[in-house]
Amino acid sequence: MNADPKSLTSVGIDVGTTTTHTVVSRLRVETPPGGAASPEIVDREIVFRGPVRETPLLDRETIDVEGVAAFVERDLEAAGLEPAAVDTGAVIVTGETARRENAEPLVHRVAADAGRFVAATAGADLEAVLAGRGSGAAAHAAETGGTVANVDVGGGTTNVAIFDGRFDGRKRGESRVLETRCLDVGGRLVRFDDDGRIGSISPPAGALAEALELPLAVGDEPDDELLAGLAAAMADRIVDLLEVPPFDRLTRELAIGELPTDPVSLDGVVFSGGVGRLVDSPPADPFAHGDLGGLLAAALREHERVRSWPVLESAEDLRATVVGAGTESTTLSGRTISIEPDLLPLRNVPVADVGDLAGLEESRLREPLEAAVARLRELHDLHDLDAVALSVADVGPLVYERLGSVADALASALEPLPPSLPIVVVVRQNCAKALGQLLERRSERPLVALDELAARDGDYLDVGAPIAGHDSVPVVVKTLAF
Amino acid sequence: MASDSHSDPDEPTVENGSEVGIDTDAESNERLRRIVERNPTRLGVGRAGPRPTTEALLEFRADHGVARDAVHSRVSDDLLEEFGLVRLRTRVADTDQYLARPDLGRELDAESLERLERDCDPGPEVQIVVSDGLSSSAVEANVPQLLPALLDGLEARGVSVGTPVFVEFGRVDVMDAVGEELEADCCVNLIGERPGLRTAESLSAYLVYGPERGSATAKKSVVSNIHDGGLPPVEAGAELVDLIGEMLDAEASGVDLREDDREFRTES
Repeated sequence: MNADPKSLTSVGIDVGTTTTHTVVSRLRVETPPGGAASPEIVDREIVFRGPVRETPLLDRETIDVEGVAAFVERDLEAAGLEPAAVDTGAVIVTGETARRENAEPLVHRVAADAGRFVAATAGADLEAVLAGRGSGAAAHAAETGGTVANVDVGGGTTNVAIFDGRFDGRKRGESRVLETRCLDVGGRLVRFDDDGRIGSISPPAGALAEALELPLAVGDEPDDELLAGLAAAMADRIVDLLEVPPFDRLTRELAIGELPTDPVSLDGVVFSGGVGRLVDSPPADPFAHGDLGGLLAAALREHERVRSWPVLESAEDLRATVVGAGTESTTLSGRTISIEPDLLPLRNVPVADVGDLAGLEESRLREPLEAAVARLRELHDLHDLDAVALSVADVGPLVYERLGSVADALASALEPLPPSLPIVVVVRQNCAKALGQLLERRSERPLVALDELAARDGDYLDVGAPIAGHDSVPVVVKTLAF
Repeated sequence: MASDSHSDPDEPTVENGSEVGIDTDAESNERLRRIVERNPTRLGVGRAGPRPTTEALLEFRADHGVARDAVHSRVSDDLLEEFGLVRLRTRVADTDQYLARPDLGRELDAESLERLERDCDPGPEVQIVVSDGLSSSAVEANVPQLLPALLDGLEARGVSVGTPVFVEFGRVDVMDAVGEELEADCCVNLIGERPGLRTAESLSAYLVYGPERGSATAKKSVVSNIHDGGLPPVEAGAELVDLIGEMLDAEASGVDLREDDREFRTES
């Protein structure tokens, strides 16, 4: 541990689809007065930024863990950091390579105490959210109370996260993720060999080229006009992704996951990502990276629609990323909880915040619960997880009938989740045992209900084995820092 | 006098609706305010010369009145009807005797013993007793939330529950008499606690495995401080479900129940 308990050294390792890099930051943590509150990160300072490297792969699906670990070790050495001096951190593995088996061994390689790390695998949607937090889009939305989209254009995918800063009882300085939209469009979908010929065309780029009847093939000498045409087509899809529904057929074909059904009016757009950052600052040689990235950025910059957008500057000059797992606070759950002891311990359980149910009539309880479950399904690879958590700030009055209604709504909202996936229900009021027992009678799922705890969207929980008989469990709430 | 250092002695400090009446610097006042916010007792209520302020005195007397009412009022028939509680009575004649003779509050009168035999199912795994104890208000306030959670929870676990009874002028150990008469495996007494000036609605649940008259207090388990500002009654009901399950499995209660308490156990 750091000598100063109020300052944590955090390592953020972002293993993306195409690039990997390490960031070391110093987080200043303060516990607000009042006792009941958990510590918060009040300041973050990036003290070391490793070079952006290509993610080493064994094959298209598998990360070369040894290769990444070697990079990280080199970076930590360059930062003058012993593994023992690392207080906390996060390894986020995103993109097609999102496999937890890859993330966990990495954590053990770089951290003396791996328990202090969040090892998270992110689908395209979580990557979109992480990018938007890192680029300042989320903060901008919170500051202005507006709706801001972050468009993270990377090597393999374009991930859009839309942040809503309207105040609805959250903490100051936070914005809500309105939605995410992801597309198989990126700079590295077409790559060039050293001699300038086309080295590879990924299937999405091939599909686009075919649809537009652009004669492009591996081994061709690239015709600048053809390539610019393809880049423009990609830019069209990104614009389409942001400006509508209804979506173009091609956009729908290239979409990852669900596309929204309602248009959103935007107060700001931020570009981030390896390609996205080139939109503002074009490179001297568009082919410097041996791919289509430079041309795609240029196509976006010159796009008629993009010119009309309220484009904001990104706060990060590099790829926006997670800088680590921040405030890690070990707390104890309430004393009356409902658990199946065989399920514990659980590690790195992602939290979806259901919010306050207090004002809701019985018939409307399902909406926020279903929305939280939908977020969990969108943002995480469920089959890789120990469990998922739903955090409820307030169920309303602690009366038996009300808890029954909440349990009904919960049981029904949980339906879309795999039946064997353990569910952690976190409530702030002292009612976990009552709610747990009611839920037990309505659902066969493995269940842990914890009370007198608060956790927010984006937090991760570690739930330890029960202490003192089975009255209370230690819980570590890990908050990702951006 | 120190209290005269108020800039305006007629204007008490009002923050967040609570009056904090000390006359020092802002920082101390702020600290006191934080303590007062988190503590339900009478702190920083100020004074008028050597006496409490009129407002503090009135509040004190009002709370004391609520506490006295809790002791002297009786549980309504409506509640007993709603939950189908069979009304029983101890050998106590009135409130004064209840306070003076705890022994009489542990035994049922002759009519109640008859009614017990006539109206209640014998030999249940769990017998539920509700007693007014020292606070009828506690029973009225908590039983409607606690009992459904307890009954449904026990039913879901397949535990047989006897006909629940209400005992007027009951002491904790009246459950020994009721449980022994009905030959219940386990007996729960939901009883109103001695009211305080903070709340008059605190309920406790005492539990015993193998109830028999005169059994030691050490054999009894307790879940206390059940009220809206303490352990919420609905959560208490759920906790009792688990505790009763544990007692039936271990065939024990009180210090005999938990490993940690075994050094104090009542039987070797």
